[in-house]
Amino acid sequence: MSFLQAGDARLAWQQMGEGPDVVLVHGLATNRAFWYASLAQALRDRYRVTLFDLRGHGYSSRPASGYSATAMAADLAALVDGLALAPAVVIAHSYGGAVALEYALSAPDAVRGLVLMDARINTLQPRQWLSDGGKLSAFDKEMAAADGRDWESEPQLGLTFLESMARLRVEGYEPQNRDIFTPFGQGKSGLRGARAFCRLMDETTMREDALVPGADRDAIAGLRMPLQLLYGGNSHNLPSGDALAECVPQSEYHRLPDVGHFFPLSHPEMVAPLVRAFLERLDGAAASV
Amino acid sequence: MSTATDTSIPPEAILARLKDVLEDFIEDWDTELDAPIGRETMLLGDLEFESIDIIQLVVAIEEAFGKRKLPFEQLLMKDGRYVDDLSVGQIADFLHQQFS
Repeated sequence: MSFLQAGDARLAWQQMGEGPDVVLVHGLATNRAFWYASLAQALRDRYRVTLFDLRGHGYSSRPASGYSATAMAADLAALVDGLALAPAVVIAHSYGGAVALEYALSAPDAVRGLVLMDARINTLQPRQWLSDGGKLSAFDKEMAAADGRDWESEPQLGLTFLESMARLRVEGYEPQNRDIFTPFGQGKSGLRGARAFCRLMDETTMREDALVPGADRDAIAGLRMPLQLLYGGNSHNLPSGDALAECVPQSEYHRLPDVGHFFPLSHPEMVAPLVRAFLERLDGAAASV
Repeated sequence: MSTATDTSIPPEAILARLKDVLEDFIEDWDTELDAPIGRETMLLGDLEFESIDIIQLVVAIEEAFGKRKLPFEQLLMKDGRYVDDLSVGQIADFLHQQFS
């Protein structure tokens, strides 16, 4: 199997395709399968696509600590350096986007372009409330009700909701409603993923680390590489997208209508053409230098 | 586990080697099997696979058979999404087709 040591973590990784390097970074409570069937396949004809599991996820090891976006950016650096991928385009979703942003800020020469999909950035959006816009699906509403807490006063909506879904799944709750993509919703087998996420939250510093702020606003404003921002119109992470677009005026910002946080899985047909167009512009710019 | 690179492995040898790979793969999972692994065994329905396990299994199969870059995406995906489930027999047939 392909594993790479990154500090105290052993990271599972794989590659497909040939061409300029692209690295895909998944978010919390998922793994490299998030990209494998969709975007990785859409890019492999022209790019060498590297997928890996973040520490504590998939087939990577689960060290007791080191889960802040800044700490996990060091894992990404170890991967890029260890596999000699620089300069690479880094494409990342959700918490993986926070990781990718910290990496791009710490190693600007190694990142040729950056695509952030629905990443919540702690510095720009330190709290995430139910009232931060967004639209709830029938599934979201059902799970929120089953949990029973007062979601209006929950300051870390996404993280708490994800954990709540995992715990309900482990307790055997069977939702009546489904989204196109439902976390931990893969029939009876979603159970192992839900258990793994509960262990990550219970046995490591993940919960606290997820809220640690990374680079400050001025540092983010200094980002010089091409940046594409894709955010779900129904997502509670939109305040981060708006703030990033304001901080980095040369960024290309798309608010995708009528899709939620997991749009790379629920609407891959929306994502691939936008990413390919961004990559082709980068390749064109590189060719004309 | 033995590896081989010869291109003409008989179908029953493919199935046997695939069963070995799967038994190693799920060894630590505490999966309760109703029947021994065979052609009819379903990865998700019986072995409680998730999509990540399918991907990792592909890597294990490639190592066990000494083959790289088999077009597994033809088997695992349809229209940009994972198939609902996959039987051991389907994988064995796919491998047989790739090796012949």
